[in-house]
Amino acid sequence: MKLMEQVGKAAIVRVEDAGALTMQAWSVLWKLPLVLPVVGVRRRWRSAVEQMLAIGASALPMAGIMSLCTGFILALQSASELRRFGALEFVIDLVAIGFTRELGPLITALCVSGRSASAISAEIGTMVATEEIDALRVMGLDPVEFTLAPKYLAALVTVPCLTIMSTLCGISAGYLFLAFSLDMGLRPYFQAVAEAVVLRDIAFMIVKSLVFATIIVHVGCLEGLRVRGGPEAIGRSTTAAVVKSTFLVILADLVGTAIFYFMGWSSLR
Amino acid sequence: MTDLSAAKPGENVISIRGVSMSYGTRRVLDQVDLDVRRGETLVLLGGSGSGKSTLLKHVLGLVKPDTGSINITGVDITRCSASELGAVRRRIGVAFQAAALFNSLTVEENVALPLRELTRLAESTIKLVVWMKLIAVGLSDAGSLYPPELSGGMRKRAAVARAIALDPEILILDEPSAGLDPIVSAGLDELILFLKRSFGITILVVTHELESAFRIADRVAMLHQGRLIAVDRKDQFVRNAHPRIRQFLDRQADDMPRVAVQEFIEAYMRGPKDDN
Repeated sequence: MKLMEQVGKAAIVRVEDAGALTMQAWSVLWKLPLVLPVVGVRRRWRSAVEQMLAIGASALPMAGIMSLCTGFILALQSASELRRFGALEFVIDLVAIGFTRELGPLITALCVSGRSASAISAEIGTMVATEEIDALRVMGLDPVEFTLAPKYLAALVTVPCLTIMSTLCGISAGYLFLAFSLDMGLRPYFQAVAEAVVLRDIAFMIVKSLVFATIIVHVGCLEGLRVRGGPEAIGRSTTAAVVKSTFLVILADLVGTAIFYFMGWSSLR
Repeated sequence: MTDLSAAKPGENVISIRGVSMSYGTRRVLDQVDLDVRRGETLVLLGGSGSGKSTLLKHVLGLVKPDTGSINITGVDITRCSASELGAVRRRIGVAFQAAALFNSLTVEENVALPLRELTRLAESTIKLVVWMKLIAVGLSDAGSLYPPELSGGMRKRAAVARAIALDPEILILDEPSAGLDPIVSAGLDELILFLKRSFGITILVVTHELESAFRIADRVAMLHQGRLIAVDRKDQFVRNAHPRIRQFLDRQADDMPRVAVQEFIEAYMRGPKDDN
């Protein structure tokens, strides 16, 4: 009986989570145009730009270095196997396709979820704890439009950009490896890369990164808004934001990649 | 100067009727009836956990009561539409306990925020209004500072300036003197009296500080365990014989029940419980 109760309770909590996520997504979707530069309400886009700097620009070095390292690691690990078959050139395909389809978006998302999901939930959580959100409501200003929408816009713009950049970094790391081991030139390497990657891979990368961006900013905001009480609640919410967004990003990645594979899109050349 | 409080004496600006509310099984508010009259300063007293913050959230329309109605300037905010609630909220200015200033904006920008967002005033007019409000609260030289650079008392003053930016009919202050030293706190009391005298605003103050309560109040109400146990003019209130009010006014601690002490000693002697 106890077990049933526990399972039921856990299920209700999950359903509530999903419901709250959907409600919030819907309300933000309606407000998103208001923070755009030309069609939006005056001055709102400025806070979106501030958020872009915080979420995107300052994550640039971290995402770049992480991708460089991962690209090099991927090349090293695969090279030791591929060398046995005398197929060291396949490292190029592996790094190029692996990064555009998978590692570029994923590493960026993990980096942003570690940096920004926590920062967003801490910022909004503090606003809840110090009654700033209540103050906005009482002043007749919509907290969704005022604090949430700029963050959404910023994430949706910057995460794909970061993804493209970190993919390029990963692929360049592959070049570094091949330049050392095979004495390969820059031009033949990138020609091989261009042959390996097709437009569909790039489209898939962008779609993935948009989905990841939504997940990260969404979970961050929701956990922040859930804060009840003082500083320790903010701490809990930032932890929850990072854990949940990381988990959901990987889950979404799995589902997306599985669809891509089983629809047969991954093998068509 | 016309005294607005004399214009319509006895008219209720806020009237709370039979408001009850529970979190789960715990009753936070129990059949609360309270009126705030035009032009008066009503102080809502109550200890921690008496439900006074919850009642305030109800008045602001942030929480809906389980039963009962809250009428503000003729609109029942428990049943009205979102746009009507917005219209009512524009007539209320609120200074929150933690000031709730936006840290990314300067004091001036904080005060200007409701003017910029909710009115179509020209920028020069907004500047002038902000300047006047900052003078009214005595912060005219701190306008370009950011909230974290302000002292506690200045932050509260800035919050009051933002609350009166749109010339509200009702000013609500949540714990204005909490966490302030006696001098600063007395300064805030004088500010509240000044605002009442010069603008004729109806003021609702939630606090547990007795001295400041009796300095600023026309009438005093007291909440205890979600129930309103007294609403009276302050000279009548101090003579109220309700044991809880006596205890509050005389600063007496709750007696620790003998049974609890006994249980504590026994539990202590038994040592930590084995959960296996």
